[in-house]
Amino acid sequence: MPKVKIATDWLAACAGCHMSLLDIDERIVELLELVEITSSPITDLKHPPKDGVTVGFLTGAISNTHNVEVAKTMRERCKILIAVGDCATFGGIVAMRNLVGTEAALKRAYIETETTVDGLIPDSEELGRPLDQVTGVDKVVKVDLFIPGCPPSADALWYALTELLAGRTPVLPPEYFKYD
Amino acid sequence: MTAMITITINGQKVSAPPGSTVLQAARLASIDIPTLCDHPALASIGACRMCLVEVKGQRTLQPACTFPVTEGMEVQTESPLVVEARRFILDLLFSERNHYCMYCEMSGDCELQKLGYRYGLDHWVYPTYTQRFPVDATRTHFLMDHNRCILCRRCARACSGLVANHTLGVRHRGARSMINADMDVPFGQSSCVSCGTCLQVCPTGALVDKRSAFMGRDVQTEHTKSTCSWCSLGCGMDIVTRGGYVLRVDGDWDAPVNAGLLCQAGRFDPLYDERERVTKPLVREGGKLTEVDWDKAVQAAVNGIKGVSVEGLGVLTSTNATNEALYLLDQVFHKGLGVTNTGLLNEVAARVPARAPGSLEDIAKADLIVVAGADPTEELPVASFLIKRAVDKGARLVVVGDKDNGLAPFAYLSLDAADVGRAVDLAERASHPVIVYGADVSSKTAKALKKLDEKATFVELQLGFNTRAAVAFGLNNGFDPSVAKTLYVLVGEQNWDGAAVMGKLNKEAFVVVQASYESPLTERADVVLPMAIWSERAGSLTNTEGRIQRVQKAAEPKGESKPDWEILSLLAGKMGQKPATSFDEISARAAQAIRPS
Repeated sequence: MPKVKIATDWLAACAGCHMSLLDIDERIVELLELVEITSSPITDLKHPPKDGVTVGFLTGAISNTHNVEVAKTMRERCKILIAVGDCATFGGIVAMRNLVGTEAALKRAYIETETTVDGLIPDSEELGRPLDQVTGVDKVVKVDLFIPGCPPSADALWYALTELLAGRTPVLPPEYFKYD
Repeated sequence: MTAMITITINGQKVSAPPGSTVLQAARLASIDIPTLCDHPALASIGACRMCLVEVKGQRTLQPACTFPVTEGMEVQTESPLVVEARRFILDLLFSERNHYCMYCEMSGDCELQKLGYRYGLDHWVYPTYTQRFPVDATRTHFLMDHNRCILCRRCARACSGLVANHTLGVRHRGARSMINADMDVPFGQSSCVSCGTCLQVCPTGALVDKRSAFMGRDVQTEHTKSTCSWCSLGCGMDIVTRGGYVLRVDGDWDAPVNAGLLCQAGRFDPLYDERERVTKPLVREGGKLTEVDWDKAVQAAVNGIKGVSVEGLGVLTSTNATNEALYLLDQVFHKGLGVTNTGLLNEVAARVPARAPGSLEDIAKADLIVVAGADPTEELPVASFLIKRAVDKGARLVVVGDKDNGLAPFAYLSLDAADVGRAVDLAERASHPVIVYGADVSSKTAKALKKLDEKATFVELQLGFNTRAAVAFGLNNGFDPSVAKTLYVLVGEQNWDGAAVMGKLNKEAFVVVQASYESPLTERADVVLPMAIWSERAGSLTNTEGRIQRVQKAAEPKGESKPDWEILSLLAGKMGQKPATSFDEISARAAQAIRPS
């Protein structure tokens, strides 16, 4: 049986969700028997392969135009898209920016910081432009499964993956739920 | 007995008394129906709709908390229709304000969050909040974050229904509804009495205790049920600690005296005490207080006591001491040495009626309440809540006394002490008059009130703390400082302004002080014995009704300080007395002496 292809990527994230995935510990050996991790922030391949994958993982919030692009690419190239973590599901820590507004947040970070001299808000064409509102992934692409948590426990991720591999739609039991 | 009503819940036959709600019937049968706005101590209002259930024959889902049971009713509590409705309600609740758990103080203990987990809310269906609501931190002890409020109105119901203070209410309608104080003023400037009952019933992180915020979730804490020792009511309290550190105090819902209520003095003030603790035994050597070990300090105290004749011995005690400590004071000084020059640090209410006074519960049954010579709002705030509650229910309140009284705004009539006759006339014509009296009743007022001996129920409100026990041991015996050559003062935690008394004391007098905090009194002392505070001692207290209740230790005594009774036990031992061999024996004998069976 060919291995199931998986791709992961992060948006406005802290890497904690990927850490949690690695926290499945020795079960990763069992996992690698069944799946092929194609692209991820921790492998050489950084973008999901053009011929597509079965499962796509997205962690992090939609915070800027670059995040939107990455989310859309992942959506196009995967059959099942999973939003992993509080940022991807709700906006998470990043969404605290909504409380003050993007403009004020940028000003505070790049200009008003106590140690900043002649501050400048970056506006290179190369960079993604911050959005007015930080949101979860589902506000820009269709998401098939949400696993909230900051980060979700390794057991929650393992549960979701093994259910998918067994051909079932994962329904996360309450003990795997975490909003913080 | 009225016939029980039988209904079927999830196919299970359940019996409940007539007039029960579906929720009450389900709870009797241990069937779990989720709730948010419901609270066992508060009236149900069906605000949150979490408890919706399917009732056969009803057109729509019905809230279990307000829907009464009828014979043969068939109820489904977790049918697909019900679960879908609850999930929809949760989606709406989470969408209205900032319910991001990850930066909330209550995360882990929040009732809304628990329901989110239970019903599998894995993302937000509706657009998330964008509006910022104010945070009101104008109260000293706790703040209100409107962003976390779900408008369940538990706080407002506690404020009106339990505390009868009517500070909290709701303004506007629908999604614009806001909890507010009085006519929308900051909480800190409102008529709030900072009893913290609203804080205790809030299901989310909307009301946050400033001191214990972010200091641990409930599973990380220990709970110790104890009795408050900050007035003579003896309210039941739940001391919440983590790693031996007192985080906060909650009211004990199961306590007979207060049923969950506390006041600012019981819930908050002891935790904000900033006086310096006495942590080591001290003895004056060469004119200076010097740290010594317990043995040396107790020996020095005994030397001072034995060095004078019994007429030269004086004993003063705070009533903020356990029954056990007061029993030992009686044993060591009265019975052991024959000392008669003893006194208390607070006034005592003299018994007015000929028969034994009634209990606090009688207040709720009154149609007329006469409060004489007491201001419960200052002295025993929880008693004032009980009185105001009775007033809400229609009882008329008459306040008698020459001083300003916090209950006057709630009174039907406020009288000078000289006009006590009018109060007596009114009481004569009432069906269930209750006379609440305190230490400030003059003999003239007392004489007038005595006319109601047969007709009325009297409730005695003592000043101080364990006053009733101290009186039972005869410690209130008109202390005269001028004759004392050696004075033993158990001041404990009381913030006693003893300048007037100590001023009359002979400059040469030897002073032994049993104290928890540094004060001018400890500076004057020749021996200072460090005493444990309320959270660090076990024992019992006698409340103003004569009810004997347990105090439990929730934290270790600071430094080398010891519980009040243990210090006196050491003293007795050093003097060669043996009043008892164990704590249990002391406790039993104390109880026997206070309330002879």
